Order: sequence, then structure tokens, then C-alpha cells
Amino acid sequence: MAQIRFSNVTKRYPNGHLALEDLNLQIEDKEFLVLLGPSGCGKSTTLNMIAGLEDVTQGSLQFDGAEVSAVPAHKRDVAMVFQSYALYPHKTVYENIAFGLRMRRHPSAEIDVRVRKAAQALEIEHLLERRPGQLSGGQRQRVALGRAMVREPAVFLMDEPLSNLDAALRISMRASIKALHQSMATTFVYVTHDQAEALTLADRIVVMCQGVVQQIGTPDDIYERPANKFVANFLGSPPINFIDGQLERDGTTLQVRCGGISLALPASKTFQLAARVGQQVTVGLRAEDVDEGGTESGSGADCLITGEISSVLPIGSDQFLGVQCGGQGMFFRVGKERSFSVGERVELPINRSRLHVFEASGGANIGVSDESRRVAR
Amino acid sequence: MSYALYAKRIGLFLASLLFLAYVLAPVLWLVSSSLQREANITSVPPHWIPHPLTLSSYRAIFTAGDSSAATGDNASFVPSTAQYLLPALRNSLIVAFAVVVLNLIVSVPAAYAMAKIRYIGRDLSVYFMLATRVIPDIALVVPFFLFIRKLGLLDNLGALIITYLAITVPFSVFMLLNYFESLPDELDKAARVDGCSRLQTLLRVFLPLALPSLVAVILFTFLASWNEFLFALMFTQTPASQTIPIIVASLTSDFTTSFSFINAAGVLAIVPPVIIAVLFERYIVSGLTAGAVKG
Repeated sequence: MAQIRFSNVTKRYPNGHLALEDLNLQIEDKEFLVLLGPSGCGKSTTLNMIAGLEDVTQGSLQFDGAEVSAVPAHKRDVAMVFQSYALYPHKTVYENIAFGLRMRRHPSAEIDVRVRKAAQALEIEHLLERRPGQLSGGQRQRVALGRAMVREPAVFLMDEPLSNLDAALRISMRASIKALHQSMATTFVYVTHDQAEALTLADRIVVMCQGVVQQIGTPDDIYERPANKFVANFLGSPPINFIDGQLERDGTTLQVRCGGISLALPASKTFQLAARVGQQVTVGLRAEDVDEGGTESGSGADCLITGEISSVLPIGSDQFLGVQCGGQGMFFRVGKERSFSVGERVELPINRSRLHVFEASGGANIGVSDESRRVAR
Repeated sequence: MSYALYAKRIGLFLASLLFLAYVLAPVLWLVSSSLQREANITSVPPHWIPHPLTLSSYRAIFTAGDSSAATGDNASFVPSTAQYLLPALRNSLIVAFAVVVLNLIVSVPAAYAMAKIRYIGRDLSVYFMLATRVIPDIALVVPFFLFIRKLGLLDNLGALIITYLAITVPFSVFMLLNYFESLPDELDKAARVDGCSRLQTLLRVFLPLALPSLVAVILFTFLASWNEFLFALMFTQTPASQTIPIIVASLTSDFTTSFSFINAAGVLAIVPPVIIAVLFERYIVSGLTAGAVKG
């Protein structure tokens, strides 16, 4: 059990590379926090600093209010699961799991009880005498989890633990990890570049890019109220569509005009955007925000995407449509009831209450209130 | 099986035999002639199988220090420096074992640090260390000699140990460095998170995995110190510190030259390395290829 606090933490590697810039983050006790971002964004560096595997160049890192930046890895009460599992190839599964306890000089009777209990929970009891080389990827993953959970650490760290597994196994392991968090009641910090993993597992997500935190918030915040274009683009599959245009006033409502189309904005955004009329903005439009029936309030003839279908990709439950609109390619997700053909012209009504409006230059989300933006950061 | 395949196999077999003979013939002749009388060795054609077989050369080596001992068939040919052979053997063993042990103590932590700890000047230190080894030994003899004289270690086994460490440590570090680098960084991190200090990580996780490389380093270091001639010739002056290559070489420059005696001394000189090689044989091949593939 531990609360972790980064205050103005900067990490610079000996080669001069700035991996992390002025990180301020408080991870609450028993929280499941996910660090999400593309490779090289500083998320693994952050995790390694919590573990004590990387030094803090500047700033302060505290566990439960006590400064730990000078405490070496082996004296911190953390356990870690690695992407490559990092099992000791020369030790049996039993010894792999027991190693952390042996290094901390637990009596061997107690080690035996704890190892067997963990093995039972992970259903790897029959593998205890094998060596890692004789195990499948999924089994190795379980051993790596066992090695970490047997320690009953204050902080549980995971560095992309599922990315080497095949898709089906990944989904079932996600559920196991979620269950593990609930049963262990300890702080989890989880690094991934997979948005689906982040959205399913996290209590809160930290989205990072090039060493800078872009947004901190619940999965719902991050998805529904992205702080900027980077966050909006990083989450969602297929990725969000961006349309550049000019913000104009049309009677009482605001609209964004670009090329041949104009998208009316919902009344809820008028207050935030009124002062920006005439500016260049970028509208973010998620693929699933097509309102096919036109039944939702707030959609209608004044918020239409018209264009020519360039591709039709059925995905079983739904279908993806590639649409060329004003010289720009976009992707939408629609039901499979209606059939489309390539080359056909379509008019897709958009659920305008779900439009996002970003600054064209800086990329910040300007369609949300300052209050919610402050919370989001 | 086709005729062509048979022919190929027979060809390969004969070629291997030829190669084996080429490699082993000098060694066999060394052993064989050490068991022959002086007169038989020089006879034409040579006798590969000693007839009559005599142990007199060996007897001479082991009794050379004792002037009252009875002399054998080759008595007249025993060189005056023969009495120094056994002390030299002891000197060589002391030097070789000391170099092996000290070399491991220095090069194992050095290689681990260079492979797994990021520090400023890491690449430079690796290049610098290797650069010391592209200088031919002959160019280093004089500076080394001056150093050793300044340290007051001339004609002392310590001089040889220091010098051989300077020669073998860079190579050992390089061999181990390659192997440690091939082990994933995450293994190092896992061990440290599991509660190992840097030293414990090295001793409990990396060393057991590096065993084949360690054996290769041990063999290389032992053989390098055992066989070294140039520095030993320069830094040793009396039998108190002379090693086996120096004494064996001196046997040829006496008033009389006894082939059987020199060959017996030669056999004696190759016994310790052969024993070491046989002991570690099962690790050698894997050690030589270690680091080629990710462990």
C-alpha cells in the first residue's frame, strides 16, 4: 500500500536525451493507474523511476510522503512484470517465484506456502519444476505475474505485460490482471501503448507524449473530453477524423465551415467558442459518431458529412466506411443493415453533440469548459 | 544410399583423418621421442613407436636437482639447467593460477558494469581498453621493464602476474562484455526489483548464465600466461622466477643438446594445459559461440 507522488520530476539520460519533463503526478493508494502513450513517450522511464531502476535527474519522488529518489531498487517495496517476462532461465519456475522472497530472507517454510498459493491462483502448480525455456508465452507470463504477486509488494508495476501474447490470450489476461488488482488491494502502475488495455483496466489514465503529460483523467474523461488533438487521436479505433475549418456564426448557433461542407456546433459549446469566431479550428469527429437514424437530438441536416465512398470494410458486427470528403479521407463506423458500394455518394448525419473542437494551431480542446479542462490536466 | 553420397562421406572421412594427422603428428612425435633413447631419435627412418621404450629422460628431470642420484642411459646429455625444470613448472603454475583468479576478479565486474550500467564515458572506456591491445607486445617491453624495475619487482613472480594481467584483462572484459550485452536488460532489472544489489545481480543471475563464457575466459587466460615467453624472458633472471617456456628454451642453448630430454620437458609443459582443457572440455564449444545468439 503506497501513495506515489512525482513533484516536478525531470529525467535526462547521460546521452543528453530528455525523457521526461516536469512531471507532476500523484498516484493514490490502491489505484490502478495506466501510463499510455506511443513508444519513446517517457512512460517506461516513469515506471522505471518508481522501481528505482532509473535515477531522478531533478525533482522529488515520494512514497507515502517519504522521499525515495535516493533509495536503490532492491530496497524499495515494489514488484515488476516485464514485457519480455525476464524470467531467470537457469532457475526452475518454483525458484523464479521464490527468488524475491529468498533475497529478502523469508523463512523457507513461509516461502513454500506463498509460492504454492500463488501458483495455485495462477493455475501453474504443475509447472513448478520446469524451467522457463520449456514454457509457452502465456505460461511464462503467469510465472512472471506469480513472481511479482508472491512478494505482496506495496507497489505493483507492469511494463507492457501483455504485448507479447496473442490476441485471445491478451483479453483473458486483462480480466486476470483486473481480478488480481481487486484481490491484492495494492497500488498498480501499468504501462501500455494499447488504448483498449488502458480503457478496460484503468481507474485513471495518464496520456503521455515526448516526455510531457498530455492529460490525466478517468477513461471516460480521456475518451469523451480529450484535452488536445494528440489525446483525441491516440484513443479510438479507427482513429478520430480531423477536419480543419473556420469558426463562423450563423444566427444563434456556431458552425465550422470547411471546403464545401459546414458543421453546426451544439448550443452547449457556444459559450466557450463565441469569442473565437473567425479563427481557424479543427473539428474532431469519432468514427462511431454517425447518427444513422437521425433520431438523436442535435443531429440533422445542418450537420452532414457528404462525400464519396472510397472503401467498405465489414468487421462482422459493423462496417467501416472510408469516405472522401472535400479532398480528405475519413473513416466512419456504421451498422451493417444498410449496404454501401465504393464510388457511391453518401450523406452521413453526424451526432453533433459529440463533436470536438480544437485550436488549429496549438491543438488544445477549446470546446470544453475551462473547469473540465483544468480537471482533465 | 547413392554411390555419390558414399563417395562424399568417404572423402570427408579421409580429409578429416589427414587434418587430424597434420595437427596431432608433432604432438605424437613429441611424446614418442621423449620415450626414446637419444640414438633412436636421430635414426632414419624415425621410429614412431619407441623401441626400446625408456623413461630415462623423465627420470633425469625428476632427479636433476639431486647431484648424487644415479644417472640413466642419457646421462651424458642432461643439460646443466635441467635441475630448474621442476621449480619452473611450479613458478608457471603459480603465475597462471594467480592470473586466472585476479583476472576474473577484475574483468567480471568490469564487463558487467560496461554492459549494464549507463555511465558517461562508457563507450570510450571500451574502445580505450581494446586500443591497448592493438599495440604489439614488443613495443611494450621497454616501458613495462622500466615500470617493473621501478617497482623493484625484477626477477619476481609478481612482475609476471602484473604484466600478464595487463595483457589478458582487456580481452577477458571484451569476451564477457559481449556475452553480458547479449543477456536482456530486463533480466538485470528483474533481479534488482526482486531485491538484488548490483553485486548480487551479477553473482546470482548473470554469472550462472555466463558460465560458458567464464570457462572460455579461464582457458584463454591460463594458456596466455602459461605460454608467454617475451616478457618472462625480460623480467626474470634467475630460476627463482623463471617459467617453463624460459627453461625449456634454455635447454637448447647448452653445450650439449639432448632431444629426448627437451622433448620430455616439452611433454611436461603441455600436461597442465591439457588437464585444464579436458576438465572444461564440455563448456569450451558453447563458450566459443556464446554471445552469438541471444541467450
